Amino acid sequence: MFQYWNDYFFVVLFLLLGIFLPVAAIWVLGPLLRPKHPTVAKNTPYESGVEPVGDAHVRYNARYYLFALMFVVFDVETLFLYPWAASFHQLGLFALTEMLMFILMLVIGLAYAWRKKVLEWS
Amino acid sequence: MNFVWNGPMIAFYVLALSVLGAGILMLSVRKVVYMALSIGGVFIGAAGIYILLGAEFVAVAQILIYVGAITILMMFAIMLTNHKAEEEPFRWTVRNATAAVGSVLLALVLLAVIRSTTWPVQSANLNLNGGNSNPVAIGLVMFKQYAFPFELVSLVLIVGLVGAVILAQERKEEE
Repeated sequence: MFQYWNDYFFVVLFLLLGIFLPVAAIWVLGPLLRPKHPTVAKNTPYESGVEPVGDAHVRYNARYYLFALMFVVFDVETLFLYPWAASFHQLGLFALTEMLMFILMLVIGLAYAWRKKVLEWS
Repeated sequence: MNFVWNGPMIAFYVLALSVLGAGILMLSVRKVVYMALSIGGVFIGAAGIYILLGAEFVAVAQILIYVGAITILMMFAIMLTNHKAEEEPFRWTVRNATAAVGSVLLALVLLAVIRSTTWPVQSANLNLNGGNSNPVAIGLVMFKQYAFPFELVSLVLIVGLVGAVILAQERKEEE
């Protein structure tokens, strides 16, 4: 078990390094190196761009929700593919037909959505 | 209780604290968008605890499904409805006080039950041939013993898909 945790020690190390490097670059090293002469024009969200209008937190179109739901469904499918792929060597053809049936069911679902024209934007 | 300060122990306390911290943050922020984001923090911490317990596959599933999909779904649901909703600041009313007393009592009961339960010790000869690999062991069990339930899962997923389609269609007709 300790061997297992030792492996994850490196994961934690990389995680800490991954947090440390951008923080050090943006908040510590950056301000020391770069000149700082802010003007009103420089502080706009899009420099030399179009002035933003209104609030960024607008209410989205409800039809985006369909895509979120479909994303969850296919995310779960991906999850099942993972142990299947890992153990495929020891399972053989039976597992292949099993997974093909599983994917076929979801493809039918996708085809249904396609036929019903909910994936299209008018 | 004898505490041993080794790596996993420290990692557990760090993760448990971050889960609790994110949970408390979720309850204390007043904007719903921030609430959904702090729930994501709880999910990530829980994934870390799963890794600590040796359940790597469950941890990956947690990150993929809960952090990646469920949190996004919640954000979508919030942005589609009343995304600017804010809760009233907390006040001590009779209802809140009774809720607090009830929660503390529930926590005490749960603690007592957890302390008095004898947990089954993991038997040494677990009948899994996945070796050290979590996904292989799960795959071997899932696609041999539980082949039929696995196919039923696709049915559940397709029901969710059809439900989403019907929801979207009703919307389309309204427009």
